[in-house]
Amino acid sequence: MPAIEVSHLSKEYRLGALQGVRQTALNAGRRLLGRPAEERPLFKALDDVSFSIEPGEVVGIIGHNGAGKSTLLKMLARISTPTRGSVKVNGRIAPLIEVGAGFVPDFTGRENVYLNGAILGMSKAEIDRKFDEIVDFAEMAEFIDTPVKRYSSGMQVKLAFAVATSVDAEILIVDEVLAVGDLAFQRKCFDRMNEAIRHQDRTVLIVSHNIRQIERMCSRVILMDHGRLVRDGQAIEVCDAFFRGSNEKIASYAAKASHARIRSSGEAELLDISIVGSDGEPIDEIVAGSDLTVRVRFRLADRLERPEIIVGTHTTDFVYLTGASTAVLDSRPDYERGDHEIAATFGHYPLSAGVYAVRFVIHDSHRRAVFVGENLRTFKVKVSATEAREEGLRILDLPVTWHLSGMDADSKRGERHARVPVPSQAHAD
Amino acid sequence: MLRVAQNLYDYRELVATLAWKNIALRYKQAYLGIAWAVIKPVTLMLIFTLVRSFVGIDSGSVPYPVLTFAALMPWIFFQESASEGVNSVVGNTPLIKKIYFPREIFPITSVTTKLIELGINFVILAAMMAWYGMVPSLHALWVPVIILYTVLAALVVSLFGAAVNVYFRDVGQALPVLLNLLMYASPVIYPLQLVQDKLLQQQAAGEWSRLLYTLYTLNPLAGIIDAFQSVVLRNQAPDLGALLPGMVLVAALLPLSYLYFKRAEAYFADVI
Repeated sequence: MPAIEVSHLSKEYRLGALQGVRQTALNAGRRLLGRPAEERPLFKALDDVSFSIEPGEVVGIIGHNGAGKSTLLKMLARISTPTRGSVKVNGRIAPLIEVGAGFVPDFTGRENVYLNGAILGMSKAEIDRKFDEIVDFAEMAEFIDTPVKRYSSGMQVKLAFAVATSVDAEILIVDEVLAVGDLAFQRKCFDRMNEAIRHQDRTVLIVSHNIRQIERMCSRVILMDHGRLVRDGQAIEVCDAFFRGSNEKIASYAAKASHARIRSSGEAELLDISIVGSDGEPIDEIVAGSDLTVRVRFRLADRLERPEIIVGTHTTDFVYLTGASTAVLDSRPDYERGDHEIAATFGHYPLSAGVYAVRFVIHDSHRRAVFVGENLRTFKVKVSATEAREEGLRILDLPVTWHLSGMDADSKRGERHARVPVPSQAHAD
Repeated sequence: MLRVAQNLYDYRELVATLAWKNIALRYKQAYLGIAWAVIKPVTLMLIFTLVRSFVGIDSGSVPYPVLTFAALMPWIFFQESASEGVNSVVGNTPLIKKIYFPREIFPITSVTTKLIELGINFVILAAMMAWYGMVPSLHALWVPVIILYTVLAALVVSLFGAAVNVYFRDVGQALPVLLNLLMYASPVIYPLQLVQDKLLQQQAAGEWSRLLYTLYTLNPLAGIIDAFQSVVLRNQAPDLGALLPGMVLVAALLPLSYLYFKRAEAYFADVI
């Protein structure tokens, strides 16, 4: 028997404001007379969604904002009812939808633990039994008799999370709660979730925008888009599809409007930045492992003595990947007032397929920032023809030499690769 | 009906905890604490007693202050249960949007909270009865039944009102006004005996007298207040004739009110 069975689930909301009494009465009258009532336009938050989840499965739900993820969770948690279709849930549900919903600021931590526990469906005896463990986990022993209104927001969330995860339920529904507290506490939460998943054999549904986390925790992922279930399958495969979709979206955004982050002292102005191919023409796309040349044209308002120039790349979520600085050069030229053009070439840009962005920085000789620009231009890295067969769990694309029984083989990509044997366990994860 | 009872039993700890929350929250930073629960009936009793010294209301064999206090107890219990019950769903919006449990828990919790405050008022009533040298008889055993009936009457108003209030907040605004009017149509300031004398004995409204009296007792509070005074103060059994019309009304409306609430409940989270 499946733990959760959703069939042909649709949810519609009426757009616009609530109807007034007059309109409601008029409509009721029209319906009585058999004439069509005046209705506000409908918005489909969920559109014919079907899936079933077996006990013990850990399923992630991903999708862009407004894809219907939270609406779906609300249906599962019975907070809202479907317009059409049905939801069947076998077992007790513990919804961790926005932890701490029932916290009362005037109550002490202790009182709130009991109150929130009761709201989440725990009996008093159960809370009594788990109280010490909850307080321990939240690291709150010292403050447990202080009113919650005097807590920092981090402390509140920690306590709320500790209560919420101590509910014994067959089905856990988690909506973006793992991003709580400082890093150490996040680690603890993550471990606790993992423990619940691995050892207690619970069915878990996680909604998150942290795709990497979903990929690590879930065995199966459902991708939603505009209220529809678009993909349902292996975590790696679906997350990859989502990433590709996201990256394309970001790339198209970037093409439309520049989301560049620029901080400038006014002494320098960026005129143009582009990725150029070997023939010097601007391009949008390079092949993994080939050269990446960034060409920058900028204007200086004043003469700069021995400036330090940095060109680097980062992911669209601002993880800095490469950076090259002219500070390592023994002699650097002075730059006169006026327009200049520079180029930096990274031989063998080793990143795997995806969308990346360029940053460009000028410091003066005292390392004062003259110009700092990030996300100045995005470009796509594609993998050669073998892309579909490539391992998905990686960020670097490095050449590898295999030593298999009976044959030696190189990865056949890119004539420009130096064929250095790389131990296969060194591939990035 | 069985499922309702089952639900109530399953969620009894939640109701208890939420009621405790309401009480604790209200009196947490108040120096007088729970004593505030008795301020309202005691003040009203003093005012009514003062007014009576000008206009003269026959209170029969029972001293007027005790009589009116015994009327105020069930009345205020009903009034506050109903008005808090009506606002209970809207007042708990964060919970409604985040977590599911049967929504009738909210109106029921309001009533439970008021039950606790009613209990405190019994202490005052006992003190007043002792002051006047009154001793309750076996008839006082009716009290729990009368209170249960009052709870049901309050639930009729609060279940329906709470559901409508989600869509139209007017209900929450209008109810206090309506309830204030209803107080004058209930035997709070004057005893029911006076109404009976006027309508049944003196036939003050001619041939309409009987009908008017039935209309008057259609208000459940008429029967409730009179019965409460009878069993606690007069050592008499409750007057079933005065109770019956109100009981019929409550018995007819409670299922309707509950069904409406359950039907509307599904959309609370969407509309609220």
